[in-house]
Amino acid sequence: MKHIANPLPILDGHEKASGQLAFAADMKIAGLLHTKLVFSTVAHARIKEISIEKALGIPGVAGIFHHGNTPDNTYNSTIWFEDQEAPQDEQMFPRTVRHVGDRVAAVVAQTQEIADHAAGLITVEYEVLPAVFDVVSTEKTCMENAGSDEVSIFEKPVLEATFDYGNYRAAFDNAELIVEDRITTPKTHHCAIENHICIAMPQDDGRILIMSPCQSIFAVKFVAAKAMGVPASSLRVVKTPIGGSFGGKAEPVLDPLCAYFAKTLGQPVSICFNRNEVFTATRTRSKAIGHIKTAVDQLGRILARDSDILIDVGAYCTGGIFLPDSMAQRLCRLYDIKNQRYRGRSFYTNTPPAGAYRGYGSPQIHAMSEINLDHTARRLRMDPVEFRMKNLIHPNSVDPVMGLEVGNSRIRDCVEQGSSHFNWRRRWSASGKGNRFRRGVGMACATHINGCFPGFHEATTVTLLLREDGCIDLTCALHDLGCGSNTVIAQIVAEVLDILPGQIEFSEVDTDICDYDLGTRASRMTYIAGEAARRTAMGLKEQILLAASLMLNCAVGNLVMEEGKVSGNCEPGRCVSLGDLALHESVRGKLLTTTQTYRATANPGSYAAHFAEVEVDILTGAVKVLDYLAVHDLGRAINPQLVESQIHGGIQMGLGYALFENVDIDPDSGCMNADRFSRYHLVNAPEMPPVEILLIEKGEPTGPYGAKAVGEIATIPAAPAIVNAVNHALDTNLTELPLTPERIVDACRIP
Amino acid sequence: MNFLKQDNLLITEPALKQEPIVLQINGVEYRDYTTATKTLSQFLRETAGLTGVKTGCNEGECGACTVLVDNKPVNSCLILAFQAEGRQIITIEGLLGADGTLSPLQQAFLDYGAVQCGYCTPGMILAAEGLLREIPNPDDREIRRALAGNICRCSGFLNIIKAVKSVASQTDTPVVA
Ligand code: FES
Ligand code: FES
Repeated sequence: MKHIANPLPILDGHEKASGQLAFAADMKIAGLLHTKLVFSTVAHARIKEISIEKALGIPGVAGIFHHGNTPDNTYNSTIWFEDQEAPQDEQMFPRTVRHVGDRVAAVVAQTQEIADHAAGLITVEYEVLPAVFDVVSTEKTCMENAGSDEVSIFEKPVLEATFDYGNYRAAFDNAELIVEDRITTPKTHHCAIENHICIAMPQDDGRILIMSPCQSIFAVKFVAAKAMGVPASSLRVVKTPIGGSFGGKAEPVLDPLCAYFAKTLGQPVSICFNRNEVFTATRTRSKAIGHIKTAVDQLGRILARDSDILIDVGAYCTGGIFLPDSMAQRLCRLYDIKNQRYRGRSFYTNTPPAGAYRGYGSPQIHAMSEINLDHTARRLRMDPVEFRMKNLIHPNSVDPVMGLEVGNSRIRDCVEQGSSHFNWRRRWSASGKGNRFRRGVGMACATHINGCFPGFHEATTVTLLLREDGCIDLTCALHDLGCGSNTVIAQIVAEVLDILPGQIEFSEVDTDICDYDLGTRASRMTYIAGEAARRTAMGLKEQILLAASLMLNCAVGNLVMEEGKVSGNCEPGRCVSLGDLALHESVRGKLLTTTQTYRATANPGSYAAHFAEVEVDILTGAVKVLDYLAVHDLGRAINPQLVESQIHGGIQMGLGYALFENVDIDPDSGCMNADRFSRYHLVNAPEMPPVEILLIEKGEPTGPYGAKAVGEIATIPAAPAIVNAVNHALDTNLTELPLTPERIVDACRIP
Repeated sequence: MNFLKQDNLLITEPALKQEPIVLQINGVEYRDYTTATKTLSQFLRETAGLTGVKTGCNEGECGACTVLVDNKPVNSCLILAFQAEGRQIITIEGLLGADGTLSPLQQAFLDYGAVQCGYCTPGMILAAEGLLREIPNPDDREIRRALAGNICRCSGFLNIIKAVKSVASQTDTPVVA
């Protein structure tokens, strides 16, 4: 292997480190108009009147948009193919606003200053309606309304998913110990450093070109078309470089509006959110409340589990229809539990909508499961590692709900090797009950998916073309979100063809030139797109060898392709470079190119176990993470350096989820309390603990060179590992995330 | 709601015709008849066209807009352009060699996997550059503290710290005991 397992620096790193990479906000576009949105200041209201006269009178204002002069088509911003079914409850500008930060109007003007000023002159009269900010109240109302046809969709559950297998009732009846917890995970924000932005402009051919940092150009195209009420063919979408997303830019929030403004005004228009607007008017991670009940015997075998999850999707459904099932799917792929019941329900509240966010339900459900399991181990007086080892699944298990194989799942190796590497046993038994500073250790396991199989067109189409300079053009809608997925794909293609990764040139991600693709979601890049690239490269290699065999007059079996050339052993010294071969073919009217579509046939699990040691200051409630070990079963690391960075970044996010991050909706006004960086603490450089990484590389047979995903799972076990460590340090059972200093001090107070 | 912009301040034509603001950026003089309310980050991005300067919050919290002003890292969103008059400003573009080669620190960021999406990168590199100009051989604690005002949401900081350390240890300045 030359390029697989090579810690190659990210391919576009030079542009990034030199500041030359042009993000959307850096593009110079002649005649570009700027937009300022007017947002609802109330959580739920009918708009009685919008007064725009004053704003219209400001010189430089090009247009003002609101519900009275924009299409009222309903849509769901979560879809990624044209006829995908999802509740359509969003509108460009709704007549009834459903959260503080909902869209009321927009001013488009010659400069941002003029737009800002004019937007401030718009006044809105509201007829205030009752609002709910917590999912428990919504659930209650929905239960009361059940059966009535009179209620709106917002007063009904978004979705309920259940499964029930084995005989959990009997198992609970016979259990020696039942441990029950109510665990809550907070509404959090992605905090990609690049704010949301979109640019749209009319093209000469009459179509509208949309340019934005997105996770799927096709999702943008279909969502915008639906919202605008125009054929998707009248839109073209190009992805711009993306300054972080983590799911936050998966759903097109600005694109439908921006495209409509550009179409109406016949001029290029941009919408560029500021940080406060990104917090309050884009997407969040759903808040969730779980009741988990686990039944065990004295030996520590899990007999049964019952999980009841309430998910707060916020003001609009978006992906809320998928969350209950996603959580169910991940819950049953980690432990071997013979009797299990699950009910997951998502509900609306009048808070900013939830949406995709790294892990899509996994951080919530695994936090709940892992915190409850630690509690169970404590009640059993059993080492939590030993307890988990008795119950973790084995490789090639079949999940009891969907019937899918989990693949070469090495979670047992993760826990076994991790606990020995971390000196778990010793650290765990050393009961460091200091006075003010208490030490503790915690660990947690997790699993996540690899792609969308068996649902949703899980396929990727890649085209490769050998150029006359020996480089390869790769055409595919690959949405590198900044973590280096294109570098990984280049390494895979380079490995097959024995060229340099830098010789692979990626096409623009443009709906005009790329085949349909789901985009970056569901941890599908390395596992699905990587395998598609590998297979297409194999196809191209075959063509190259065939062409070379004719040119060199040597049987394919006697040819070797290495270091950018093909040589035959028929005539010593006879060889041809790949570039010359392409030239040779092109003068004969032939291109060395191939297009292949790879359809996934499996969805193995990626697995991880994280171990943490913390020190809690019971006087201030501050938690310091002293040491951290992340063990990942990722099949094989195509690029260990990028893997490492992904894991570090995942831990940064998971630490925040455990200790700090919560957008915190004010229960009276519905306003977001932590609506900017100065009020939303992110783990910074001094707070980041030392992290050791252990990779379990035993290969997944269905992945490219054995690889599985790592990007999303990297963050999932971090929060429960930290929470479990704090509970170990304090001998508490804290179950409400994040563990803020207030909550910790409260728990330590002598009653 | 919106705390970032001067909502009630409409910039009108007469305000534009005043004394020019003159700034020394990467050794080049930039002159502009601009309003007194323009922040340094706006001047750098819009007037000087140096879009390597990023903004992520405009409230001094993310550090994406960090530039060097007289060798000290400054959040360029927090000061007004005219406040930087008469000082030497260095942006990420100013660290490149004449032929476009990366500086040792930029190269280290690349080699150590400290760059992911790249949005925090220019500000992060300049915060580190400022540290190294002040303390050529910083220890782990000093590096972490110098980067405390810069947020990276992708990389978890550890490879950034390693990259800075690698450049620090190349310099010959004796470590002060
Ligand atoms: S943009 Fe200046 S600190 Fe965030
Ligand atoms: S590399 Fe993306 S924010 Fe730092």
